[in-house]
Amino acid sequence: MGKVSRRQFIYSGAALISSIAPFNIAGAFLNKKAEDSGVDDIRGTIFKGDAPGKLWKWSHEGYIYKKLDKKKVVCGICPNMCVMSPGDRSVCRSRVNIDGTLYSLAYGNPCAVHVDPIEKKPLYHFKPRSKVFSIATTGCNLRCLNCQNWQISQAKPHEVRFQELFPSEVIKKTENYLAESIAYTYSEATTYYEYMIDTARIAREKGIYNLWISNGYINRKPLLELSSFLDGANVNLKSFSEAIYRKLNGGSLEPVLKTFKILHDQGIHFEMTNLVVPGYVDNEDMLKRMCDWILENLGPDYPLHFSRFTPRYKLNRLPPTPLSTLVRFRRIAMAEGINYVYLGNVPIHEGNNTYCHNCRELLIERQGYNIPVNNIKNGKCSFCRTIIPGVWN
Amino acid sequence: MKKNNEKVIFLVVATGVSSVVTQLLTIREFLAQFSGNEFVIAIILFNWLILGGAGTMLANLYIRFFDISISSLSRFSLILSSLPVLQILCIRLFRDTFFVYGSSLGFYPILAYTFFTIAPYTLLVGFVLPYSLYVLRKMNPTFSGSYIYITDNLGDVSGGALFSFVLIYFATPMQALFLSGVPLLTAAFIILPATSRYRPGVLSGTAVAFSILIIGMLLEPSSLSSHKGKPVYYSESRYGRIEVHQDQEQYTLFKDGVPVTSSENLNMAEEAVHYPLSQIERVKQVLMISSGSGMLKELQKYNPVIVDYVEIDPKITNVMLRFGMINKIPGLNVLHNDGRRFLSGTERIYDAIIINLPEPDTFQINRFYTDQFFSVVKKRLAPNGILSFSFEGFENYLAESQRQKISSIFNTVSNHFSQVLILPGQRIFFLCADFTIKTDIPKILSGKGVDTDYISKYFYGNLSHSRIDHLNNQVDRTTPDNLDLSPMLIRLMFSQWFAKYSTSPFWFVVAVMIFLLLYLIRISKEEYVLFSTGFITMGSEILVIFAFQIFFGYIYLQIGIIVTVFLSGLLPGAWMGERLKNQDSMGNALAYTDCIQIVLIAVFIVAIQYVGDRLPVAFFLIFGFLISMVCGFQFPAALKLQGGDNRAATFSFSADLIGAACGVLITSIILIPYQGIMWATIFLLCLKISSLIVIVARKT
Repeated sequence: MGKVSRRQFIYSGAALISSIAPFNIAGAFLNKKAEDSGVDDIRGTIFKGDAPGKLWKWSHEGYIYKKLDKKKVVCGICPNMCVMSPGDRSVCRSRVNIDGTLYSLAYGNPCAVHVDPIEKKPLYHFKPRSKVFSIATTGCNLRCLNCQNWQISQAKPHEVRFQELFPSEVIKKTENYLAESIAYTYSEATTYYEYMIDTARIAREKGIYNLWISNGYINRKPLLELSSFLDGANVNLKSFSEAIYRKLNGGSLEPVLKTFKILHDQGIHFEMTNLVVPGYVDNEDMLKRMCDWILENLGPDYPLHFSRFTPRYKLNRLPPTPLSTLVRFRRIAMAEGINYVYLGNVPIHEGNNTYCHNCRELLIERQGYNIPVNNIKNGKCSFCRTIIPGVWN
Repeated sequence: MKKNNEKVIFLVVATGVSSVVTQLLTIREFLAQFSGNEFVIAIILFNWLILGGAGTMLANLYIRFFDISISSLSRFSLILSSLPVLQILCIRLFRDTFFVYGSSLGFYPILAYTFFTIAPYTLLVGFVLPYSLYVLRKMNPTFSGSYIYITDNLGDVSGGALFSFVLIYFATPMQALFLSGVPLLTAAFIILPATSRYRPGVLSGTAVAFSILIIGMLLEPSSLSSHKGKPVYYSESRYGRIEVHQDQEQYTLFKDGVPVTSSENLNMAEEAVHYPLSQIERVKQVLMISSGSGMLKELQKYNPVIVDYVEIDPKITNVMLRFGMINKIPGLNVLHNDGRRFLSGTERIYDAIIINLPEPDTFQINRFYTDQFFSVVKKRLAPNGILSFSFEGFENYLAESQRQKISSIFNTVSNHFSQVLILPGQRIFFLCADFTIKTDIPKILSGKGVDTDYISKYFYGNLSHSRIDHLNNQVDRTTPDNLDLSPMLIRLMFSQWFAKYSTSPFWFVVAVMIFLLLYLIRISKEEYVLFSTGFITMGSEILVIFAFQIFFGYIYLQIGIIVTVFLSGLLPGAWMGERLKNQDSMGNALAYTDCIQIVLIAVFIVAIQYVGDRLPVAFFLIFGFLISMVCGFQFPAALKLQGGDNRAATFSFSADLIGAACGVLITSIILIPYQGIMWATIFLLCLKISSLIVIVARKT
């Protein structure tokens, strides 16, 4: 073996040190936040030329849209504002442009029809223990990676098995099941707007409550029209970050915040659900900003649900949310000033119960969907007579 | 000169060892990143072999423009020795760069990601093999191409055995890469003439390669870290990657990157245990095939006398015990065995058998949902016993692909049990018995005095009678049964997977078909023989492993031996082929060996069909050895028939690899799931007959 010269030694040493450089780069990759991973925006796009050749029985002309040049149309229902040429299908998959007219293909053809306890929506301050007749067609204007109803929210109307249930038949079924309310739910009700509002109109005439379970991604005009028939709503506030909305949901935060303000201005009872996704939404600073916004713009009385994330659909490589995170979030939100904060998807916990915001007495004890204790009388706390926000029996 | 030859041959062996270790680790790494089904596994292998074949062809192109030199071979090998570390790091690091953290991926992203991350290494490793031959022939023009083939296979066999029987038990991935990379690094250094070794470029290159191998080991823990919480446990078991992450008081067990169970798993534990056990009068003897967190605790509420808990991976039970996910309860027997194998061998009769396995998207798991398995279960259940298992559920709408999956299972299990009830929820539970199964589970539990937190409070809201009836009415009675040798469920799992990602493999299949057609049109007859042999060897290996685990269970060591035997048959075969001198006898030999392969495959078909689970283990070993021996024999014979020059060697290597790539893909994701094992084997038989026709036509 030959002798290594000083030049050779230095050369090798320098090479050795420089070989560490790529690993420093690797270190930078490793320290990235979850929010910085992957693509920044997963918003959906229009399905070009995907509309059916002709309409089917369950089609209905859109209520809110504009006709443009060259037979194009722009849908006015949600902030996606889909501009469709003839033959195109909207982002939500339910609306098409047929020869210059916008049609919904989701009218009277629900693919999910169930009777649920109202607590399942979740609505904790609306007619406790009442039954809700729940319907959904296909379609959603977002692309949430953790969607629990992806089988219908990310499908086109003709891709699923459905029942024929036009608005008047929905009312009959609701009455048959002795349900007090109809919930437009599961997928995204905004995408079957015409079906929903026509059903809601008849329901109102019949004294049946209308409940809107939504992601809140809707424009002002359709929401105002819908509001005249709404009795309650649960709207998802998926996070308080524009970046996370784009990355995990394919939407935007701002329109959702506007929805809350409109519902508040219209005097509709609503509750908010925040799914605490580990690595993304379990951020205390973000939570505090969210609470500040709620208090400033909506006040302290709208119930806020922190829901436990479980791995599902495409976001199935994350752990479930630890219980203590949810408990901490509830404590922080209450400390910030929100009066009614609940835990979701947690079987037995005091966070499921309602306590009077004035005297702190137990008003409603919830054991799952059972309510062994109810101390709300005529909408007031039985102990201190404080009015409890909500719609009560 | 002879000494230099020996050094290059040592380098070829070292390349074989390193490349097989890298291949096995890369597949495991991808599975940890993508938690693959059978489709994903096939895609990875396909990419690996196709890129290897492309790299081999590149070598032929390279020598048209550049000189053949030992120093170039040394440089390439130096890169090759350290590239696996960078490859594994890239796979780990770039996943969350290109894809949203915490999300799983569909077909095309996985195809693209696996292709591009392994391309540099696989192209180079495919390139180095023929290039080594060119270097040897430059020193010794009469050097045989077949000898390189034999040498490479020797390296492959050694690498496979080293990984499967040694490294898997004692080394982390980076340690394994270090141990397999150092011999190659050494070989790359010593093949250079003594005068060149101490040049600054060589020294620094060697130092860089060595430091990459070292730093890879140092970066191992941090490259595995994620946002899942604090990592408190990490281990590579024989069956995959196990991690436990702690987020505050919650521990979550991850298997291959997927959260399997967590310490706050109350709903799942109650459903899995109380749905079946509420139905039976006495709970004395219970069998659990795998377990979720909290299940044993729930089971204890019935005071069973014996609880046999079977888990294939000892590391899983150890880690679950350590982090309190399962508790040692009276009567508990923890048995480390394949669940199906255990059930076939035990004499015990159980009151309840609870299966708690992942989704049946691999051949290994599919075995637990077949007609034959349910038949075994029935024999081990008491007359008033109950069987329970579950699948991924749905909230409000049962998608068509999932409906078909449930229907297939329902129809299959209904052949053995008069009553089958399906319960909806986040997981869909199947309860199977020969007595009426009651749906008012909270009421039964209350009658038995069994307290539950979730079921007693949520059952009526989540599992209303209308929801239960709705689900049970959705079953399609015409969906075919899921059979051992015709895994219908795998096909339905593929459909479900594609539906979930709103994608279809159509364009991929079209692209592969066009490529294959173009390739087959332009290759020689001898190359077609090698292509078909590569296809059949790989296809047979998949069939043998598939059949073996059906009949004998997933026994890591024995499957490792089968794979080693498959590789080692090549060596004596190639040695015998190398001894052929006469051109005429080579043509005849190809035809005869094709006939032998046809007979072997025919014997396999008959044996599987008529003897099935009575076949001895030795049958599979001998079959694998003989098939690969014929393959090994045909390579030198076909090579010599083509003249044996550099070009012929390159194209022969490519034909073998491309055939193997197509064998993996077509056998595992088309033939077995869509046609069953019998037709898959018959397809291989027909392919070999076509090869025989080509050989006979060549002679005439």
